[in-house]
Amino acid sequence: MVEQVGAALVIGILLGCLYAVVAIGLSLIFGIIRVINFAHGSIAILFMYLGFLLWRLWGIDPYLSIIIVVPVAFAFGYGVQYILVRPMFVREKTYVVEPLGVLLLLCGLDLVISNGILLAIGPYALAVTNPYISGVIQWGGFLTISVPRLILALVAVGLCFGLFWLLNRTELGNSIRAVGQNREAAAICGLNVHHIYALAFGLGCAVTAFGGCVMLPFYGIYPQMGIGLAIKAFIIVVLGGLGSVPGALLGGIIIGVVESVASQFMPGTMALIISLVLFLIIVLLRPRGLMGTIEV
Amino acid sequence: MKQGTGIGALAERLRRRQIPSGWIVIPVLLILLVILPFVWKQPFYVNIFILIFLFGYLATAWGLVGQSGQLSFGHAAFFGLGAYTSTLLYTQVGVSPWLGMLVGAVVAVIAGAIIGYPTLRLRGVYFALATLAFCVILQIYVRNTQFLGPLTLGASSGLWITPYAGAKGPLFYQFASKTPFYFIALGMLVGVVSLSHLLNRVRLGYYWRAMRSDPDASESLGINVGRYRLMTFLLSCALTALGGSFYAQYFYFISPDRVLDISLSVEIVLVGVVGGWQTVFGPMIGAFIIIPISHIISAQLGSTLFGLHIVVYGIILMLFILYLPRGLNIPVMRGLRWLEAKLQRQPESSSDKPRRKPSGYTGS
Repeated sequence: MVEQVGAALVIGILLGCLYAVVAIGLSLIFGIIRVINFAHGSIAILFMYLGFLLWRLWGIDPYLSIIIVVPVAFAFGYGVQYILVRPMFVREKTYVVEPLGVLLLLCGLDLVISNGILLAIGPYALAVTNPYISGVIQWGGFLTISVPRLILALVAVGLCFGLFWLLNRTELGNSIRAVGQNREAAAICGLNVHHIYALAFGLGCAVTAFGGCVMLPFYGIYPQMGIGLAIKAFIIVVLGGLGSVPGALLGGIIIGVVESVASQFMPGTMALIISLVLFLIIVLLRPRGLMGTIEV
Repeated sequence: MKQGTGIGALAERLRRRQIPSGWIVIPVLLILLVILPFVWKQPFYVNIFILIFLFGYLATAWGLVGQSGQLSFGHAAFFGLGAYTSTLLYTQVGVSPWLGMLVGAVVAVIAGAIIGYPTLRLRGVYFALATLAFCVILQIYVRNTQFLGPLTLGASSGLWITPYAGAKGPLFYQFASKTPFYFIALGMLVGVVSLSHLLNRVRLGYYWRAMRSDPDASESLGINVGRYRLMTFLLSCALTALGGSFYAQYFYFISPDRVLDISLSVEIVLVGVVGGWQTVFGPMIGAFIIIPISHIISAQLGSTLFGLHIVVYGIILMLFILYLPRGLNIPVMRGLRWLEAKLQRQPESSSDKPRRKPSGYTGS
């Protein structure tokens, strides 16, 4: 019994890192632009499909495809923010457009991406077969860890620290945080606000694409899975604190552990309901989330 | 000024613009819609009109939340709760859906309170995210649940609305033809639009306008923003659940992929946005435009290019938010007013009189 729960705990942490990889980008984007990227799940699978196609067409290993996919994702995110979302911010000066308008806009983008994939590639589930790195680690007779999942967990932690370093220890990070804290003041100091917003959006997409490529060796993809990933990511960022990157990692691990441990005792769907209840309790008691700094 | 009675006097008052513009257009449209099913009898078209009314109804009910300054992506969940509650009560307990739909509304209100109470006190996106998550999770739950206590929920294969032993006929929300459904749907649409119009004239409506333009300022003036938003949301939930019961009785079949799917939420959102969310008549106008178009697209291309019509939805949604964020409400209203002015042929001399304020909402 104890061993079972222990194994579920470890598997839950690994699962949580998978969720966190999607949530980190979302939280980063929210922290700077104050916009929930509604299309985040779709963008994640878009770049997983790109990685998959690179593997299918030219045999590029998913781990290797990172060097192609991540820059593309960055450019894509930059473009989305600069072309689609920026007009909403410019208009905001004339009359109040709540962030709800941006949410609707990104909802439209989400529909276009996920159903565009459906249209172009078809509804089948696809998976990378015979990946370069595979195998499992056996430990103590009851715990089995798949190596690609372990790599993903390390990547999630690495991305989290990398972003933390980027945001807090570099010149670019300083300007990004400045814009996130006060747009007008940052603009007065000579920062190009819209350029930095677009950088932040691109960075969020790039991080997600990075994680997506690392997920590919063990994670099957299908066009409609974006919404499931997005829901998890939304719950996680609220739990961890909207805008907090370490919070996203923590929230992801909590949700992963809850799901994995709960599914030992009850049907899998109950775990989902528990995560929704967790979301509501956090919103009720501590709206800024576990590690959030943004006042609500 | 002397005012008589009779047709002549009425025409005179119309000419002097003493009767608000809506008083001409709306009765004419209503009379047209009432005689329509007797003239244009093909079930295909009657069906489209029923769907237009249903989606106009749903989008207007959804729009109430928008008018209070929030955005719900989860209305499919409340729709589905209404559909499932009335269906379970009807097919497995024998309660008439006329009663069952009220129970469904109560269930939806309870669910809405659980979702809305924690999230509506806060600014920002918490409410939108919570409704979306609720919708998706409820769908997954129903998809994977065969039995709920003594009731059969049917999991992903759904439920057929087969009458409980002997419980048939109009008393049990069952009709042989589409015409009664047509009038029920029309009545629901007219009712909800009138309700929305009416609520805009009372205190709640003024609160809505204050809350959606600046929630903090309205809070400082003593409006309990969270409470009024919650009230509005619960009203919207109840109305949406009634729509769900109607859907179940009309289509005889419900399943999680039909009545609880996020694409239904999105369709309601799209109809509302195209017409002008945060306006009274906008969502209804949106339904008259979007539903026929979507029927044409899915009838022509749905079988060959699966998913295309949703891509088109997404593009329409983005274009409207970017270029016409207040929807078609304003151009349509302006067009109607222009038409009316033409019809009335207002004499030159009247231009020095104070103009009546137009009664149609311009969607401020």
